Amino acid sequence: MKKHILIVDDEVEIRDLLQLFLTSSGYRVSAVETSLEAQRLVLTDKPDLIISDLQLEDSDGLEMIEKLRATLRDTPVILLTGVLFDAQSFRDTLSKKVSLYLIKTTPLARIKVEIDRLLGK
Amino acid sequence: MPDLPPTSPPPDRTIRRMLALFAIISAVLIAVVAIAVRNINRAETSSDWVNHTHAVILEADAVLVGVHAGESALRTFAMTGDARDQAAAREAFAAMSEDLEIAKALTRDAPPQHEQILRLEALATKRADIAQRVFAAWPADQPEAIRLLTGAEATAASIGEIRRIGDKLKDDEMALLAERDTASYLQAQTTRWTVWSGVVLDFILLGLVAWLIRDDLAARRRIAAALEQANAQLETKVRERTAELSTTNEKLVAENLEQRWAQQAAEHQLRYYQIVFNSLNDLVLVITKAMNISRVNSAVTRVTAHDPSALIDRPLASFVQLADHAEAALDPLAQALREGREVRSQPAVITDARGRRVPARLTLFPVRDRDKVVGGVVVLELLTLDSSPAA
Repeated sequence: MKKHILIVDDEVEIRDLLQLFLTSSGYRVSAVETSLEAQRLVLTDKPDLIISDLQLEDSDGLEMIEKLRATLRDTPVILLTGVLFDAQSFRDTLSKKVSLYLIKTTPLARIKVEIDRLLGK
Repeated sequence: MPDLPPTSPPPDRTIRRMLALFAIISAVLIAVVAIAVRNINRAETSSDWVNHTHAVILEADAVLVGVHAGESALRTFAMTGDARDQAAAREAFAAMSEDLEIAKALTRDAPPQHEQILRLEALATKRADIAQRVFAAWPADQPEAIRLLTGAEATAASIGEIRRIGDKLKDDEMALLAERDTASYLQAQTTRWTVWSGVVLDFILLGLVAWLIRDDLAARRRIAAALEQANAQLETKVRERTAELSTTNEKLVAENLEQRWAQQAAEHQLRYYQIVFNSLNDLVLVITKAMNISRVNSAVTRVTAHDPSALIDRPLASFVQLADHAEAALDPLAQALREGREVRSQPAVITDARGRRVPARLTLFPVRDRDKVVGGVVVLELLTLDSSPAA
């Protein structure tokens, strides 16, 4: 059975490209624009992994992740953002909330490797 | 393309060979039939001739029998003088005469036999004449009649001569019959040999055709097998090539996706930094190593009313000067930039679009690419509280 990945990003080009890539890589992908949509979707279709942007239209990505944790305690989360964090900041703050932080310029192949690793493929 | 295995002659050549053989078979059959028909016709002719010869012999026999019967009846008449013997003699000679006419008619187309019949006729007619004279002299002059009767034996028309000629005619005819019989036998043998030879030759040729057909079928089977093998190899190659193309296509699609992603990500980053850059309330100017302005944020336009295009590629000194170094323009900044030093919170004066001078605090950050200073960032903090656009 295909693993289910949820993408949350307010930029349609980024969202579509990532969805296309992950679908062609053999995943079942749901892509939403807002935090609210994401929270609704996880209630009916639980994802195996979440990829989220940091800055969303209706919310902060980290805030949304905290809300989703109530439903998805052990689901791995990748923070995919254009905001640069140094290693120390990630270790001190982000690592408590997300499994992995990736800058948006990360190549798709590398993103896939990390997804596979987190999903144990 | 895989190599085809060597094959027998091409099918069209085989067909030509088979057609040639069938033509030969047909020719042999036609020749055999023609020869057989010709020999049958000859046999029919020969049979007619044999019948004719037998008829001639029979007629010759009949003439001789007639002569003997007439002669016998004549002699009996000479001894008895009985009219019945005379009548028998007349009747016998009359029958002989008819037989002679038949024999002449039968030998009309055969001159040697006809000649013999004529000679026989001459002698037999003389015998009949003698008989007529005997009948005429009887009974008035019996001695003359006897003399005529006995004298006839001494002449050329004696019975012995007549028999000799008749026998010769029959012998000649028999000899001809024997000769024709030998010829017929040889002809029949020839026909038999011709027919059997033709049949045997045709069977041999048919065997050859059968062998050619078998050989051709085997060649076709070999060609079909080779084609099948070639097709299989071709299909395998097509499958391999399709798989290669599919892999290449997938790779290209992935590369394309990767490129689009990189572009989107770069645009996103650029947009993000642009937003951050333009969100700053302080005036920020990016300068080159030669102290020329290369970029300004929105606050510069908002505060000084300078259009960015009027500032880009212009000396920084045309926009801002250090307050304590009016004479030296921006030399301390240029030197600090050359040395890669920061210059912090220096009093400075900005010249806005209307030429008014606005006090500010200037900070310079050198921009390094690895260890090399490639330019700098100038941040101007206005000393007046009002940072609204210059009126």
